[in-house]
Amino acid sequence: MRSPDVSTYLTFRILKGLFVVVLISVLTFIVMRMMPGDPVYLLLGEGQIPITDAQIQSIREKWGLDRPLPEQYFVWALNLLRGDFGESLIRAGVPVRDMIFEAIPVTALLNAYALGLAIVIAIPFGIAAAVRRNSWVDYSSNAISALGIATPNFWLALMLIVLFALYVPRWFGELPLIGRIPPFGLRSWQGWILPVIVIATEEMAVLMRITRGAVLELLPQDFVRTARSKGLAERAVLYRHIVANTMLPVITVIGFRIAFLLSGTIIVETVFALPGIGRLFVDSVLRLDYQVVQSLVVVFAVLVVVVNLLTDFLYALVDPRIRIS
Amino acid sequence: MTTAPPDPTFVPAPQEAAPPSRNKAVRRFLGNRMAVLSTVAVALLCLLAIFAPQIAPYHPNDDLFLGQRGVGPSWEHPMGHDHVSRDLLSRVIHGTRVALTVGILSSLISIVIGVIVGALAGYFGGWVDEVLSLLIDALMAFPLIALLIVLAAVLGPSLTTTILVIGGTVWARYARVVRAEVMSLRERDFVTAARALGALDRRIIWKHVVPNVLTSVIVLASLQVGSIIILESALSFLGLGVRPPTATWGGILSDGRAFILRYPHIAIFPGVMIVITVLAFNFIGDGLRDALDPHQKIGRSK
Repeated sequence: MRSPDVSTYLTFRILKGLFVVVLISVLTFIVMRMMPGDPVYLLLGEGQIPITDAQIQSIREKWGLDRPLPEQYFVWALNLLRGDFGESLIRAGVPVRDMIFEAIPVTALLNAYALGLAIVIAIPFGIAAAVRRNSWVDYSSNAISALGIATPNFWLALMLIVLFALYVPRWFGELPLIGRIPPFGLRSWQGWILPVIVIATEEMAVLMRITRGAVLELLPQDFVRTARSKGLAERAVLYRHIVANTMLPVITVIGFRIAFLLSGTIIVETVFALPGIGRLFVDSVLRLDYQVVQSLVVVFAVLVVVVNLLTDFLYALVDPRIRIS
Repeated sequence: MTTAPPDPTFVPAPQEAAPPSRNKAVRRFLGNRMAVLSTVAVALLCLLAIFAPQIAPYHPNDDLFLGQRGVGPSWEHPMGHDHVSRDLLSRVIHGTRVALTVGILSSLISIVIGVIVGALAGYFGGWVDEVLSLLIDALMAFPLIALLIVLAAVLGPSLTTTILVIGGTVWARYARVVRAEVMSLRERDFVTAARALGALDRRIIWKHVVPNVLTSVIVLASLQVGSIIILESALSFLGLGVRPPTATWGGILSDGRAFILRYPHIAIFPGVMIVITVLAFNFIGDGLRDALDPHQKIGRSK
């Protein structure tokens, strides 16, 4: 693509993003209609009460289920645009929007803490590992990232629950400053500790590996040699030249990882019974509450597209060389 | 004495992208201690899966031990009993079957789809490429586990569903790598030569282009098996994978979660097995990549 100026590029990217969102919403709509179970029976509770065909018909009409599928889609999509996500089929009368908006802060905070923790640990560690190649720092960072990538987050979560909620209190009693770590839920601030560690571990493993690789690629480059040969202290070379240039791949990866963050959050929230987006999603799928599921999928899609756009712009901002590519 | 005159009908063999001399690659792989160790581990896991009924001391589902519910490890039952008193060691051994079956079959499905999509996009370019790339990007950006959860719920959880659904969604990585390689191969002389000789696109793709991307595909596949095994166990863990009572690592972990505060030992061993298996496949992948692709064109897993 040869777009001479930035605004054309932006417009193109935004249009492409919009197209992806529309595509995903159409596909979701179609897939959700293939879900097992007739929503009418879901509403009434299957087999509980005898109902006549006329009653079924009137429910279909009330919910618009008798209209042709394309019409149903457009009604749904227009309502989404107006911010009306419909009502939950299972928790009757509760607007889906409220359910989602109650859950978003939990998930957002969880991931923000985890990502922050991962960045704070992974970037210095990754740089140190690359600079002191084949030292114990390097070996341990390699081992940690290999293990972190191979460990399923839900298993790590279970093991941390066993360790910190079961055995640590048994062996040591209450921890100083922290006190009791609950196995599930967010009733106290200590409830955040384990989920944040679990999500941060996976992110840390990936970021550490990326940072190390990025620095290793920079070290033999000319500008680093120039900086050294003009007498700059090793520390200055490291901070001013290497660290600055490492940020680029790291930002891309962080943006790219948002989809993975959502993936991680879905299972981790389920394990720890946290009232976030992930658990709402799993619960709604298991209960066939497809009004909630289809809204959430579209929310995920919008989120991913927006984050990808932001990453691209940030990327272009940080590195003028790739502003037009 | 002169050398024989050049044969006028001699056509130089098409100059395929030279594979890095096979012996050298094998030697490089054998020099990687972790990769060799992991190959042995994977071989053992395969044996464990194939001969699970012979190796496992008890039946994974039918042997119940009265009064032994949730009893921890002992000499006769090294991994202890689960919440309905079954022998966990036997269940974990049988779980290897599902993990490897899904890992291998889903990989095959995703390789076939990924190579076809990537080759078409890279070879034809233009609008074909635009459309397929959009699909690849959308698939890679979307949280995979969310997609798997919805699809598994719609299709009804089972072994077949798990294999199809994972295989049908994780191919985007292959497609992206194959597409990039095919794009550069398309301009190479041997492809131009084949086209000049009147070969059909289909023949060029299958005979000249695809064989040259197989190295990358093999490396990527070994790196991908690990994440597929994690996805499978995640689905079973959520109750959307292989149905109980079939023993799966994710399924046992799900039992372990339900009884985590009462019988914490249930959740330990299946997780250890997952970590060992995934580590082994990842190390083999790293070893293969270092041996076959010293310039590291192919990204790491994840």
